[in-house]
Order: sequence, then structure tokens, then C-alpha cells
Amino acid sequence: MGAAAPTPAVRLSSITKHYGPITACQDVDLALIPGEIHGVLGENGAGKSTLMKILIGLVQPDGGTIELAGAETVIHDPQTAADLGIGMVHQHLSLVESLTVWENVLLGDHRRFDRRAARDEVMATAEHYGLVLEPDWRVSDLSAGLRQRVELIKCLRRDPKILILDEPTSVLTPAESEQLFATLRTAVAAEQRAVALVSHKLAEVLHATDVVTIMRQGRVVERTTTRTATATSLARAMVGREVSLRSSAAAFGAIDVVDAVAAVAVDSEHREEVLRVDGATLSRRGVLLLDGLSIHVHAGEIVGVAGVEGNGQRELGDVLASLVALDNGTVTVAGTPVKTGRAGAMARAGVAIIPEDRHDSGCVLDMTVADNLLIDRIGRVSRFGFIRRSAQRTRAKQMMSEFDVVGAGPDSTFGSLSGGNQQRVVLARELSNNPKVLVAAQPTRGLDVGAIEYMSGRIREAAAGGIGVLLISTELEEILDLSHRIVVLASGRVIGELNRVDATSERLGLLLGGIANTVESGGTSDDAS
Amino acid sequence: MIASLFHAIGDVTSSRAMYESAIRFGVVLAFAAIGEWVAERSGTLNISIQAMMIGGAYTSAVTWSSCHNVPVALIAGIVAGVVVALVQAHLSHQLAIDQFVVGLTLNLFVLGLALFLDSRWSAITQVVKPTRVPLLARLPLVGTALFGQPWPMYLVVPIVPLAWWLVFRTRWGLEVRSVGDNPQSADVSGIHVNKRRRQAILFAGATSGLGGGVLVLGQISINGYENGHVGLKGIIAIAAVIFGGWTLRGTVVGCLVFGYFFALQQTLPVLGYRVNAQLSATLPYAVALFFTAVFATRTRQPRALAQPFVRGLT
Amino acid sequence: MTRPDPQRLRRTMALVGLYVLSVVIALTLAAVLIAITGGPWQKVLKALLDGSLLKPGRWGDTLAGATPLLVVALGAIIATRAGLVNIGQEGQLTVGAAAAAVVCTSFSGPFALVAGLVAGVVGGAVWAALAALLKFGRKVPEVITTLLLVFVASQGTGYLLTRTFLLLDPDPNKPNRSQTSAQLGTSTRIGRIHLFGNEIPWTVVGALVLAIVVSVVLHRTVWGFRLTVLGRNARTAQRIGVPVVIAGATALALSGGVAGLAGAVMLTSGSANFRLTPGFSNNVGWEGLLVALVARNRPLMCIPVAFVFGALRTGAGFLASTGVERSIVDVVRALLVLAMLVPPAILALWERRTSPPPAPVSTDEPIVSVVTA
Repeated sequence: MGAAAPTPAVRLSSITKHYGPITACQDVDLALIPGEIHGVLGENGAGKSTLMKILIGLVQPDGGTIELAGAETVIHDPQTAADLGIGMVHQHLSLVESLTVWENVLLGDHRRFDRRAARDEVMATAEHYGLVLEPDWRVSDLSAGLRQRVELIKCLRRDPKILILDEPTSVLTPAESEQLFATLRTAVAAEQRAVALVSHKLAEVLHATDVVTIMRQGRVVERTTTRTATATSLARAMVGREVSLRSSAAAFGAIDVVDAVAAVAVDSEHREEVLRVDGATLSRRGVLLLDGLSIHVHAGEIVGVAGVEGNGQRELGDVLASLVALDNGTVTVAGTPVKTGRAGAMARAGVAIIPEDRHDSGCVLDMTVADNLLIDRIGRVSRFGFIRRSAQRTRAKQMMSEFDVVGAGPDSTFGSLSGGNQQRVVLARELSNNPKVLVAAQPTRGLDVGAIEYMSGRIREAAAGGIGVLLISTELEEILDLSHRIVVLASGRVIGELNRVDATSERLGLLLGGIANTVESGGTSDDAS
Repeated sequence: MIASLFHAIGDVTSSRAMYESAIRFGVVLAFAAIGEWVAERSGTLNISIQAMMIGGAYTSAVTWSSCHNVPVALIAGIVAGVVVALVQAHLSHQLAIDQFVVGLTLNLFVLGLALFLDSRWSAITQVVKPTRVPLLARLPLVGTALFGQPWPMYLVVPIVPLAWWLVFRTRWGLEVRSVGDNPQSADVSGIHVNKRRRQAILFAGATSGLGGGVLVLGQISINGYENGHVGLKGIIAIAAVIFGGWTLRGTVVGCLVFGYFFALQQTLPVLGYRVNAQLSATLPYAVALFFTAVFATRTRQPRALAQPFVRGLT
Repeated sequence: MTRPDPQRLRRTMALVGLYVLSVVIALTLAAVLIAITGGPWQKVLKALLDGSLLKPGRWGDTLAGATPLLVVALGAIIATRAGLVNIGQEGQLTVGAAAAAVVCTSFSGPFALVAGLVAGVVGGAVWAALAALLKFGRKVPEVITTLLLVFVASQGTGYLLTRTFLLLDPDPNKPNRSQTSAQLGTSTRIGRIHLFGNEIPWTVVGALVLAIVVSVVLHRTVWGFRLTVLGRNARTAQRIGVPVVIAGATALALSGGVAGLAGAVMLTSGSANFRLTPGFSNNVGWEGLLVALVARNRPLMCIPVAFVFGALRTGAGFLASTGVERSIVDVVRALLVLAMLVPPAILALWERRTSPPPAPVSTDEPIVSVVTA
């Protein structure tokens, strides 16, 4: 590895990409060497995803060159990239749920279409890397971890010279992540592939890579070998200043930092119970999504709901947003039972929501910021059923300044805001409703450090102000950072509960790992039921 | 009253003509519905199937009246269907204009165009003589229905397995299904989403154009082109796909069921029953509405049905 | 904001250029079509202009013809706003007209006229509500059901006209023994304004007012706001307390009701000599829908578009003298609609190719949104 100037499998030189006034990448150089895992580290918005999209042809650069094995190349589209031996495991997997494993593995390939050969090949590839996978499983029945396995095999089967992994651990349990990195190691060491591991988590970059390139605001700010790097040095390079705040440490997955902090216990048991979910059961198309889930939240308390993605978090959020009706079970807000699935009932009862995907159910992208801020209370700025635009604008401006929404006026379209500002608009709207409960689902996903600190601070403040907070997150560090009490969710029910004082990342990891084991041995959780 | 109803049912079920007619209508619907099924599996709810059928019907009819050659006329019908499909495909899956808006406009356009051209070059057609398969055609009741139809009807026999094979046994079909279910995933996997969708629409154009041709050349009592002959059969074909729960088998069954009610409307007066023409004309449409509502299952509905795909959006 | 933005100016110029180009292409295509079928296109143009505007009394007829088109278009906009695709106005209009005919041939007097118009609304609303029932009850796409219901409506109305105890004119001296309803009495007819030798029914004014009302309701009221949220993001709507099923069904029914009103207006202002006839709707439902499409669902824009489409209708009546089949007008209209749809789409395509995905800064956001059940 220390040999003199090994030929890179791919060399990106001076790559530049602008999105209108925003610079996503500026003069970025990156070289991936065969047999090496190259960490690409940066906050959300640092330009690492754009860079990778350029490498697999999803985005065309404005300037710069790409050399593959020494020859300059233009990558028009993902197909070209695949032909050139570049494969990518996407953060949000590129699988089609209604198809089987082998069909998914074959997707995008264009060799001869032979069912039997394809299935054999899937089996062989899986075996080669020591992964358990049945070619005839339908992807919609698989857990997130197994889905990623499919994605990995889809990639590796094509024998890529260059393999890109984009935030691969975001859907995995700690145990699954460990296994992934082991597999990756084999693929790299034995088969001389060049691997780029894109991540915003210091811990996993330190753990799994050979060299690191750190990006900030579209530029490469540091290159180093992993051996010589420390968590602090990487964090400083990533953010551009000393990192001291807990929340940002948590955001980078620096678990040791979080663990070290003495948790504040809140004497919440004597306070009013503001939210109670009892025996919530929900099934769709014969699949049990919530299985007798029970959770309660007291005023002033932050309850973290930990769990691997796809274990009922989304459904819990949907129930508390009045989007679905429970088959069985009750929801009680501040002592009053609330009918599930009735439009707006939860909001009226005092449940505020920061939804997991704000584009899906939180906001309307092509309406204005002012409209979105007052979307549920438009009646308050109306007279005789007519909206008073000036009153609406005034109120909106007030809320925007209160929650530091910058970079746009009340009349700009919501979709033109940055992710962080969109999230602030949602927060502003939900908190200015005087809620009793705040449900925050993945509140910091996809945000940069500044926005993460802001969100975390606001959530703590809300709790301090007497609001009961239900924090649903798949990021252990975020849960550990914010919660007073932690419940662990698996297959739609609570399988464990810990006080923050008793909770360490290890214990939580073990609880979650238990889930991973059941999933593995049972094939799929859904098949079992 | 009840006795006479049973009598009527007996008459209908024992009428060879009824079965013949039902199969003819069912087959014509099936040509369009199979194409629509492929288009829907790719994610397009293609209401211009109606325009494709009308285009195919008029073009086939007018071609036949000028050259009296059935294969040539049918090919002309296919070409017309594909031309309509090209317009639909490019407007909705390249320029990303709302697919229903395009479909509706095309339906009205082709309807007007056929009427206009027909006023200048009116099409006179003769029905293709039925081909009777020896022995089998003599089977009781359904003999002539199944084995004594004009030969273009039998083109549906290879087309059904062809469509199945294309969709379930080829790479193209795999890609079509993937763009109908999750275009974003298909896109990052390196599949040209809108190209596959356009191709699926072209397939629909070909089969439904052919269906239009078979309609004017294989249907008794038709001796020229009239918009009324096609009616809203394209839309009924879509209903058949929904009725069939987006499976090919179900779609074909749906066509036969709806075909049966078209036949009923046509055959009852022949059997000597006095039925109100207007009311019986609504029968297949009312049945289609009712049946799609009652029997449709949507477990196999393509998840991205009727959702446009633009990279970067959503 | 008020400063002229060069980029925006260039965009507008490009759009206007594209519109001109595509309309010219559409008209050229139409002219070629007329030419190859042996007709003189100049004569066709002159006939269209004479029939719609120039000859005495014609522009009044055009206004009268444009009125139901405008009304239908306004109804279509309501459904679209709620995110529903109602394309069965032709049927809703027919049912509305039939309902109005039942009332107006049974009773007389000004109250009967009002009751007739109300009956039209109810009839159209019920017809569209059937589609809403299938949509929200059984998830059958309203695109298909509204279309199928068109056929049922026209044949069903045809049936009403075959029975004297229903709607068939009982008068043994009725004109040419055709299947029409009785003629409305003078008390149930819409009054007319006489202006420069033109006769314009009062409904023209009513339709203009309705356009303004719809525009204000959709853009300025709480109800319109909630409907807009529903149309753009149904899950957000449900979350904030807009009941998706009830609001959606209401919007669809209302949309049909307005189409039904158009039918009642046609009947009472004498579009078919104050009788309900088979084929009474005469494509007004379809054309009204196209008006809404061309106007890009803006209520006030529908006014000029409806006028142009109305002119095509009245102009078509003068085509007989040229020997060109009047269905050419259908072709021209559809070509014009396509010509109006394409330019913004081309521009959007260009912009997508040259510039970023919609939300800037969100460069690190997933291009795949997680599929929801």
C-alpha cells in the first residue's frame, strides 16, 4: 500500500458543480486506489453526495475531468458508469419492492437475461461474501439490513473496480454495520477493488477506512491517512472550528463523547402524563406493522424511541399525525382519548409533529413559506372566511424571525428553502401552537451541524418548557444525546426500556443487535408472522 | 315474471350467436386491454388507448376500402395506433405534460380527425369471412364462438402469451415492471425510466390499433367506419385491467366479461326480446363501473401508476 | 422584486416565442389538412370569422355559446384544485340538463326557472358523486369512472326521452315526431339582453360573475386554501384537519354540480330551442374541459379562452357553404389545445436540463423519497 504512486482506479480532478447560486463542489480532487477504502467525510451539504453522483453519472459536472485507469472519461449516466465498472450502494436503496431478490440484482444489467443463471449467480455471490440471501425472496418482505445486503450483492455481482457506499450504516444495527465492514474488507483486500465510503460519522470512518478526504462547503479541506487521524482532528476539519457541543458530537457518531456526558435525570413520574399510546395495533395487507405498542410520555420529558428503521417508527408517527387509524388500541392526549385517523384530531388535541419526511406530510412544497407557516391555522388570519394576506404576512414574518428562518421572505415558495430552513419552518409552526406533546421523527436527518445544534436546542427547550417530547430516531447517538428515557422498538412493539442514566451505547446496541439476530435467523420478520 | 326471466336466461345461454358475439367483443377489447396492461405496468394510465383504437379502426377501414387486402389494412391500423402512441408517449413522458391532459386531448383530436377524414374518404368495409376449424367448429354452443371466427380475431391468441413473455420473461419486461413500481430506484439502477414507459405506450398503441382494425374487419353488422362502433371501448379496456387487478389473466377475463355484456346488448333484440335500446346500450358501461368497484383487488397495482417521473423531483 | 430581472425577461420572451411558433404550426397543420382534403382554407377561415363575429347578430351567439363552456371550465377547475381528475363533464352536464328539464317542463314561473337551475346543479353533483363514491369507497380512479359515466348519462337521458311519463313531449303535434322533451314555457326561459342587434342571454353575465366568484373563493378564502392544500399534498391536508375523503368528494360533487348548472343554463337559454334532445350536450362538456386546460386552471383566464372556443363553435355553423365538414373545427380545437400545452413544457424541460433540481442547497438530500404505503 505504501508502494510508490500506485495507479488510481479513478482520479477526479478539479471537479466543479454549481446549482444556480449554490456551489456544491469546487475544484475537488479525489483519487481512489485499488485495494484501499477511502473515506469521504463531511457534514450534510458538504458536497460529498454530489461528488459521488457525478462519479456514477447521475449529475454532470460543470468543470473538471474524470480519469479511469489513466484515461479521461465522460460519464453520461448510471448505465455508462456501470459499464465502466463503477458501482454504488445508495443510502436510500435502489431496490424495487415488488420484485424478487434476483430480479433486483439483475436490474440495470444488460447481459443475456437468463433466470436460472441469474439466481445461481446471486446465490454464488452471496455465498462468496458469506451473506445469507435467498434469490426468490420478495424485497418488500425484507428488513432494511437484508435489503442492503441485496443492494450490495447487486453491486458486487457486476464485479465493479470501483465501489461507492453512501452512508451505508444509516439503516443498520451496530452488529449489521460490523458485518458490512467485514464483508467490505474482503472485497477490498482479496479482490483489489477501490472503495469510497461516504459518511458523516467519524466513528465509522476511523474504524473502516485507510485514507480520508474531508470536505467542507464543496471543497476538499483535508486529506490524511486514517492511522494518523483522531476523532477530534477529523471533527475540526469537518466543521472548521473546535467542536465542543454535545449535539454536534452526537451528529458525527462520536459515541464516546456522548456516553461520557452525565445524563440529566428528570423527575417526570410526578408530572402529568401528556401522551399515552396503549396497545396500538395496525396491519396493512396482512403485515403487522404495530403489534400492541404502548408508550407514555410525561410533561417535560424527552422519551427516545430507538430502533432500526422499518420497525414501526413510521407508522407510530403516522398515527400521531392522524394519518392512519389504528386497528386496535388507544391514544390519549393529556387525559383525553383521541380518535385515530380522524383528520386533524391529533393536532387539535395538542400533538405537534416534526414529520420524518416533511415533503411527504409536513408541508406543501409549491405553496409559500407564509402559507406553510399558518397552514393549520389559516382561520386565525381570516375574517368571514376570507384570508387577510397582510395579517398572514405579518404573522409569518414574526414566526420567521422568532425561529431564525433566513434566506427567504414569507412569499417565497417553501421548496426554495434549504433543508435546515424548511425544518425550522416546520418547527416554528408546530411549536407556536402551544402543544402538549411534540413528536419529533428523525428531526435532524439530512441537516448540517449548525441546524442540528439548533434543532436539538429547541427540542430541549421545548421539554424544559413543559412539553412532553417523543423523539423517534434511528441514530443511537441522537437518542442518547437528547432523551431522558429510552424505549427500544422492534417489529412494531416495545422490546426494552432504559433510563438514560442506565443507558450506554453498548447496552442499546445489544438490544438492537438482538433484533438483528432474530431477523437473520428467521429469514424475514414478516414471513415469520 | 320470474319464469320469463329464467326463460330469457335460458335463451341467452343456449344461443350460439350470443357466444360468437361475446367472444368477438371480448377479443377486440382484449387487444386494447393487453396493450393497456403493459402500459400500466410501466406506470402510465393511458387513457389515449381510446384514441389509438379509433385511429386504428378508421385507418384499417379506409385502407381496406382502397386495397381490399386484410393484412395490409390491419398493418395500417397498427401504424395508426403507434403514431397516436408516439404523440402520447413523447408529450407525457418526455415533455412531462400531465398524461391525462394529453390523453384527453388526443382522444378528442383523433375522434374529430376520423370524423373529418371520413367525410372526405369514407370507408366501406366488408367483414372477413369466418374461418371454420373442421370438427371443432361443430361443437355445441361454443363451437363457432371459439373455432369459427374471422381469422384476424385469432391474432389475439399469440399476443396474450407474447405480452406475458415480454413482461415476465425478458429484461425489457423486468425493467418495465420496475419503472412502474419504483421509477426512482430503476433510474439509479441505470434504467432509462421514461424511455421504457414510452416503449410500453408504443406497444399499447400497436395492439390497440390492431384491435381497432379487428373491430371494423371482424365484426358483423359493420360495413364502414363510424365513431359509434368504437364507442368508449378503450376506456372499457382500462376498466378490464383494473378489474383484472393488473394481472394479465384477470385482464383477459375482464375483457370476456365485458364483451359478454356488449354481446347481450346486441343479441337480445335478435333473440326477439324487446329491450330499450338506450338502456341496454348502457349495460356494458354500467357493468364495467360496477364490476371494477366490486371485484378489483389492488395488491398488484403498480405503485407509481399515473405518477410522472422527472429525475430529481420527489 | 419590482426590478426587471433579465433572466425572467428572457424566460418570458422564450415562452411567448414558443407560443406563437406552436400556434402557427397548429394552424398550418389545420390548413394543410383542409387543403389535402380539397377544401380552400381561406374560405374556411372567412366562414369561421363570419359565423362567429362578423355577420349581424353573430357575436351575441358566440357569447351565448361561450357561456356554458366557461361554466363547465370553472367546475373543472374546482376538481383539479383538489387534486382530482374529473373529465366527465359531458355526462354531468347532460344529467344536469335532464334534471332541469324535468323541473322546468313540470312547473312554470320564475321560481320554476330557479328551481330548474338548482335541479341542474343537483343532477350534475349526484352524477359526479357516483364517481366520488367509487373513488373513495373502492379506489377506482375517477379518470375512468367519470368517463364511463358520460356514456351512461347520454344513453340514460336518451331513455328518458322515449317515455312520455318521463320526459318525452306528450304533444302529438310535436315537430317531426323526434324524441325531444316538451318545450319550456316562456316563464322558465332565461331573459335576453338586446344589444346592437345581438341577443345575449343574461346567463352571460351570470357566468362572468361565477368566474370571479370561483377565482376569489379558490385564491382568497379559507375553504379555497384548504382545498389547495388537499390538491397539492393530501397527507399534509389530513394532518392539518382537512378530511381527505369528505373534502375530496365535496369538491368532485361540486365540480359536477357546476357542470350540471351549465347544462341547465344551456336548456333554459335555448341552445336546442328550449327542448331537451338526444345528444343535447353536443360536446360542450368536453370543450369546456379543454377551456380549463388551455387556461391552465385559472378561472379568469377561462373567460377569453371560452370566448375563442365559443367562436369556433358558432363559426363552425357557417362552414356548410364552403363544403368542408364541420368536424374540422374539432381538429383545429384539439390542435390549438396541444399548441398551448407544449410551450411551457418545452421551457420546463430546457430549465431542467440547464439548471438544478428544484430545491437548491438540498444537494445532499436523497433523490429517492421513501415509498409510502
